[in-house]
Amino acid sequence: MAVIETFGLSRDFGKTTAVEDVTFAVEAGEVLGFLGPNGAGKTTTIRMLAGMIAPTKGYAVVAGHRTDRDVEQLHEVIGMLTQMPGLYDRLSARRNLEYFAGFYPSIQARSQVEKYLRLMGLWERRDSKVGTFSKGMKQRLALARALAHEPKVLFLDEPTAGLDPEAAGEVRRLIRTLREEGRTVFLSTHNLNEAEMLCSRIAVIHTRLLALDTPEQLRRRFFRRQLVVQLEAPDTQVAQVVRKLPFVQEVHEDGSQLILELTDPERNRPELVKAIVEAGGRVIGVSEKQYPLEEVYLKLIREEKQNES
Amino acid sequence: MSRRRIRNILLKEWALLFTDLNSAFVITLLPFLVMGQAILYIWVARRFAGESMLTTQVFQTALQKLVEAIPGVAQLPGDEQLLVLLLSQVNFFLLLIPTMIAMSVATFSIVDEKLSGSLEALLATPVRTWELLLGKALAGAIPALVMTWISAGVFLLAVSGLGWGDLSGFVVTTGWFLTLFLLTPAVALLSFMLGVAGSSRAKDPRGAQNAALLIILPVFALIGIQITGIVWFTPLLILVLALAIGIADFIALRAAVHLFRRESIVVQWR
Repeated sequence: MAVIETFGLSRDFGKTTAVEDVTFAVEAGEVLGFLGPNGAGKTTTIRMLAGMIAPTKGYAVVAGHRTDRDVEQLHEVIGMLTQMPGLYDRLSARRNLEYFAGFYPSIQARSQVEKYLRLMGLWERRDSKVGTFSKGMKQRLALARALAHEPKVLFLDEPTAGLDPEAAGEVRRLIRTLREEGRTVFLSTHNLNEAEMLCSRIAVIHTRLLALDTPEQLRRRFFRRQLVVQLEAPDTQVAQVVRKLPFVQEVHEDGSQLILELTDPERNRPELVKAIVEAGGRVIGVSEKQYPLEEVYLKLIREEKQNES
Repeated sequence: MSRRRIRNILLKEWALLFTDLNSAFVITLLPFLVMGQAILYIWVARRFAGESMLTTQVFQTALQKLVEAIPGVAQLPGDEQLLVLLLSQVNFFLLLIPTMIAMSVATFSIVDEKLSGSLEALLATPVRTWELLLGKALAGAIPALVMTWISAGVFLLAVSGLGWGDLSGFVVTTGWFLTLFLLTPAVALLSFMLGVAGSSRAKDPRGAQNAALLIILPVFALIGIQITGIVWFTPLLILVLALAIGIADFIALRAAVHLFRRESIVVQWR
């Protein structure tokens, strides 16, 4: 069941179009990565989905609520982590959370605050002023704030931006926990590794939606599947034998590696290994060639820029 | 629910207010400075200018109006008539306390949250705009009002301490109570409402501060109108004025809600 649905969602700011005709759906329990360069419309889309700004054209439905009409009801069922943590430095961590939790009638603020302070590893510092917290602690507290009312959908706008690697890793660990709990998360990020690590599907936006699929399918869209056979040493004879196999479409030699395109990589793999061994080749390993998601992303963005020009 | 949310905002605002030295100073000490200044002016005027002040046209007109309102004043010697005239101004002078506190506190209430980014997080909760604005206005107006009443008590103690206690019957009248318990709350809420509205529209803290200067002008006008004898504020007139400002409070809240542009705040402040 789709928890987030957009229908031709668009937003102009004066003469500038920030988001154009974006249509997609996010299923319940899915973690969707929302990728795009700076100014691509990620934050604008999140703000429209969270009912903070209205679309110029089109509309969105989140957890059953039109984001441009049922704003108050929508805000009861979504959680949002904004780019800035937006906490009160002079108040304690607990007081900060109690304040925000106090706007939701359906929850026991005190027990929810305790639950999430513990989950975020901040319970010991609950009575410390937020002004004394590190950036990573503030981000974890802001995440606790976004979760304290048990939202159906969570919007995270660049949650690890500006954090040191350790703090960013901690935030990612928490997002992974949310994924395991089956929460629906809409994660806007610049970080491709982070998106791949955490998200079941990835959307790439550059004003328009350029792609939306699983990381694996996105790779296949641009790159054919290739198998890498690691030999003990470079062996031209083995390469020649492999070239003659009927299911081998293409062979590249790269030092002691053979990079192959096969008709059916799963089914052909045992026969391939057998043929190499029979030809006297010593196989160290066979693996599928992994193209970094970054290459897919850059191809998409480059294509879009070419189309624009 | 609205009451719960407004209470939530009030408690948070107070927690912030009293952990900020500047705001705590303005709220707790400024009222006594204003009141001390008023008492000092009266003492100096009586000590060094005395009855000669009454020879001026302005004070003669004002005194005439005072005698019309409180005939018993006519039986007093000239210097005591002057003293009653000056002491009678203090209830309007007290209105400066909530307006000055509003200038200092309310005008930053929204701008500060815009700058820290907490406003965007707040606007993602189910809080309604009117709840937010009223909560913020009340959070400033209530302590300002309490401090005004405490200052009024201090004033009465000072009147007694300076040996002017015999005249307090001419000063602490029905009009005095109406001013203190009806007009002052209405003015306090209006000042804070305007301060919060100005803060929500301001593009930066300086803009908010400049807008705040306008809040205090009507209070100066009231003081000027009474001391120059243009109008003497009788209990009925104070009642009418309090009612009018009460209506203005409501209109100010509606206007502030109308002027509060959630979208612009979210988009323009990052």
